[in-house]
Amino acid sequence: MQAKNVITIMRGSVAPTWAARGARRAFGHRFVMLGLSVLCLCATPARGDGFSLDGFERGLATFDPGGRYVTRPLEQQFPDLNIKGSYYFWSDRLLSSKEAVGFRERDYDWLQAQSLLELALSYRISSQVEITSVNHLMYDALYDIDDANGLYADRVDRSFEQYDDFEHIARELYVSYRRPKFDLVLGKQQIAWGKMDGQFIDVINPMDFRESVQLESSDYELRRIPLWMANVTYYFQDTSLNLLWIPDFEKNVLPAYGSPWSSPLRPPQDIHARNSEKLLNGHTNAAGDRILNSEEPDWYRFRDHQFAARLDSANGALTWGLIYYYAWARDASQSVVGRFSDEDGDHLILQPHFKRLHHFGVTADYSLEMQAVPFVGSLPIVIRAEALYTKGVAFADFDKLAAARSGALANGISERDTLRGALAFDFAFPASVSVIIQPSVYYTFDWHPGLGSGFGGASGDRWNFAPVVYVGRPIRATGDRLRLGLTVTPIYSGPNRGFQGIKNKFVTSYELSQYIQARLVYTNYGGGDPDDRYGQYDKWDNIGVELQYEF
Amino acid sequence: MNFKKLLAALLLAAPVLTYAEEPSTLNGQNLSAQTWRTLEALTAEEKAVVDLRSATPRSSVYPYMPAEVYPFAPPYTAEEVGYRLMNYTHRGRWSHILADSFGTITHTGYLTQGALLAMVNQVGGGNGIAGQLNATPGEVHSLQLFHHVYPPRNNGKQTLWVMRRTGLQYTSKLDNFSYSPSLRRVRRSPAPRREESFPNTVPGYDDVAGRDAWELSWRFIGADVLYQTVRFPDNRPKITMMRADGKYYDQATADIRMMGDEYPYYRADGGIDTFVVVAEPNPAWLPDYAVSKIVYWVDQHYFYPLRTERYDREGNLKTIEVRVAKRENRALPDWQGYASLLFVHHEINADLMSYYVHTGHVARQWSEEEQTYFTPDFMRRDWLIYARKSHALIDRPEEFFLRPQLFAERFPAERPIVIAPEVVARSQAQDEAGHLLFSSGE
Repeated sequence: MQAKNVITIMRGSVAPTWAARGARRAFGHRFVMLGLSVLCLCATPARGDGFSLDGFERGLATFDPGGRYVTRPLEQQFPDLNIKGSYYFWSDRLLSSKEAVGFRERDYDWLQAQSLLELALSYRISSQVEITSVNHLMYDALYDIDDANGLYADRVDRSFEQYDDFEHIARELYVSYRRPKFDLVLGKQQIAWGKMDGQFIDVINPMDFRESVQLESSDYELRRIPLWMANVTYYFQDTSLNLLWIPDFEKNVLPAYGSPWSSPLRPPQDIHARNSEKLLNGHTNAAGDRILNSEEPDWYRFRDHQFAARLDSANGALTWGLIYYYAWARDASQSVVGRFSDEDGDHLILQPHFKRLHHFGVTADYSLEMQAVPFVGSLPIVIRAEALYTKGVAFADFDKLAAARSGALANGISERDTLRGALAFDFAFPASVSVIIQPSVYYTFDWHPGLGSGFGGASGDRWNFAPVVYVGRPIRATGDRLRLGLTVTPIYSGPNRGFQGIKNKFVTSYELSQYIQARLVYTNYGGGDPDDRYGQYDKWDNIGVELQYEF
Repeated sequence: MNFKKLLAALLLAAPVLTYAEEPSTLNGQNLSAQTWRTLEALTAEEKAVVDLRSATPRSSVYPYMPAEVYPFAPPYTAEEVGYRLMNYTHRGRWSHILADSFGTITHTGYLTQGALLAMVNQVGGGNGIAGQLNATPGEVHSLQLFHHVYPPRNNGKQTLWVMRRTGLQYTSKLDNFSYSPSLRRVRRSPAPRREESFPNTVPGYDDVAGRDAWELSWRFIGADVLYQTVRFPDNRPKITMMRADGKYYDQATADIRMMGDEYPYYRADGGIDTFVVVAEPNPAWLPDYAVSKIVYWVDQHYFYPLRTERYDREGNLKTIEVRVAKRENRALPDWQGYASLLFVHHEINADLMSYYVHTGHVARQWSEEEQTYFTPDFMRRDWLIYARKSHALIDRPEEFFLRPQLFAERFPAERPIVIAPEVVARSQAQDEAGHLLFSSGE
């Protein structure tokens, strides 16, 4: 009860007023109602001759108000304009009981109740010049509908609840100039390198990791953080060379204190975290150290810019590519720059900064068709491979931090090289059954148990091994509208931790029409210890309902 | 025979009985007359065109091919007809662009549609199938890029087919690359299983890319006359097509003829004389192929496949494909310049139908610089080079094409048909109404 009172007070001081919050809530409810109204309209019988399921389905099949009343009339009026709109609704509900886990109170039911409206406009100025704008309006009702102590991330970062500034709304904005052998794209954009399930060489843009271990490859398009850059490609016969010049810099977004995926391993307890403005704003940590303002790369300093190159070639059944990226780390590392003492004891002064990284990557794929496979006959297969070697990654070194606390000269950081890679086998079995087996490896060179985590390296160990298996198929009896898919991701590691848990995801998707898609997603986490990568989320099993309307 | 099959047989026979009692005509055709004939009943003219031998001299380079040089001279063996048939794949056998619209409908009327821009680059030896025949096994003979523009969820999706000539030691027919705007990634995908339907459609890869004649055994089974292939419903009097210059025009559907207006060999009654040819998979080439037989109705002059039936592993009729053709490339000899304008595919027991309309056809040679369009990495640019959108989509499910005729009484020894009675009933109901009917409670 006392805690509840404290929350109310803190909301008054840190968050917007209750009146403003009420207005936001009303806005949010209207946004959700818009989505529900679409569904209700869909449920109207197609004709006035009484309700029938088939009639409903026929009506639904051609139900496209966005296309009929927005995009098509505009495109007819302006033939050089191309518009695409999408409305997404995602909700994930926890299935476990409400109980504290680690440092988290976890007294909430929902992991997200997010509505996202995307409007992409392209205008063809000439046959070679086009301007493109991709805009996002997002509202996550989670922070309004779930009155839980454990949810308060929106108080510090409003983008966890809604996008209401230019940076988030104007997601992409660029001009492209195209010739058959030459391509120039200038502006704010996202680049997807890599072909695997998971991120291996897909490193150009930072990422919004608010969903932590539940961020899937299919979410990357909406979760990558676009950057201002110049993107040039020249096409030779079977080879292309892509060069990027990126003056812009953005950090990754991590699951903050008070967000549903905030790690239960991250101190302090929620009751302390949510009442500490300094902690929430990143000016201190659970140990009471002082954290200075971070030093970030500057757009106006040429030496701070990032550069990347990619060479791709297709030779018959084999395709391959090489990449290099002179980049900044996306997550700040904190160097010890001093010490101070107060009534709680001795503390460190930490300077967050971003480290320069060299990424070297390789990608390849190869296709073949095996003959006379028992029970299957011919079996088309694609083998994909991808790897990224990163030089000079900064790791928090807890041995050095401990030494610094006891007065030694140490900055608390160790640099290591990391390697991550995967090999995927993609099989096309009869009856449209797809099977992908993708063993993935993460490795930290010169690892020791005092190291924390760092880009590209293993989680909590020298190496991680994750043999991902995906099986999926459409159901022909439903006209392939119903699709089932199962993805299993166990993680093993060594030399210390062994099994770090498993993530299982079962997806049932149904095509309500060619414009509307519904998905039911069950995700569960099991095994491993409470401080393991998946083990820590053992109580985060959830079921999600997703709806997508594209017009 | 179980009750369902008996009922189906009675329903199938009903139209024949009806016609016998009450003679009527369609396009000048006497519907009561038997149009089909077995080999024994071929006319003298027909016998002069066909060579019924199955063993003919073999090529010294590729013993699985005939010694006679393509495009062959009359009389033609069934195998040679099979080679000529290879000209008439889903898309024309020359470099071109076209706007493609397509759709699938279930028996309940659930309709999905799509539209794409297709860019075809015929490589390795020019037009027709000469390039494919002259290529060595494993060599590329065609590059095809598809840029989807509709529905919105597929807008920007692209697929690149790198099509290869097969050989006994080189069985891969396709390198398949796709680009998904939602993933922003170009991926090499496993080649589709050749005889399996694409998702949510009736045809599969081999139906679209064509079958290589040397993978099949060929024989004639007779002759027939076709009066209709693709049938428009009575509630769709016109269709919006596109000319080569990109301009749209409305075409009266009643005026669309099976081989277009330029075809010189229509019968006086409007029909087209066809040979009926059977192709069976050669186990040495196609082990475990899930198709037991393909029956083609090909016109007697160009060997264009106006109607194609695919039979399942058990030997029963599975799908029917009917087409309308048009002479699209006048730079080629008349028979080579024909391409398909309309297709309707029917998977009879699932009662699933797919259609394709090809419009806005432009024959086009790709410059050296433009060859880059046909590389996997090009798709990443998401560049729709030619803004050609087909407007031949269907507005309402009731305006979908009619189910193809079954012709259940023709060549019964070769064409086992086991069909659900409700499908036969629906077909009859559509024929009487002139358009598709959807029950409210099925």
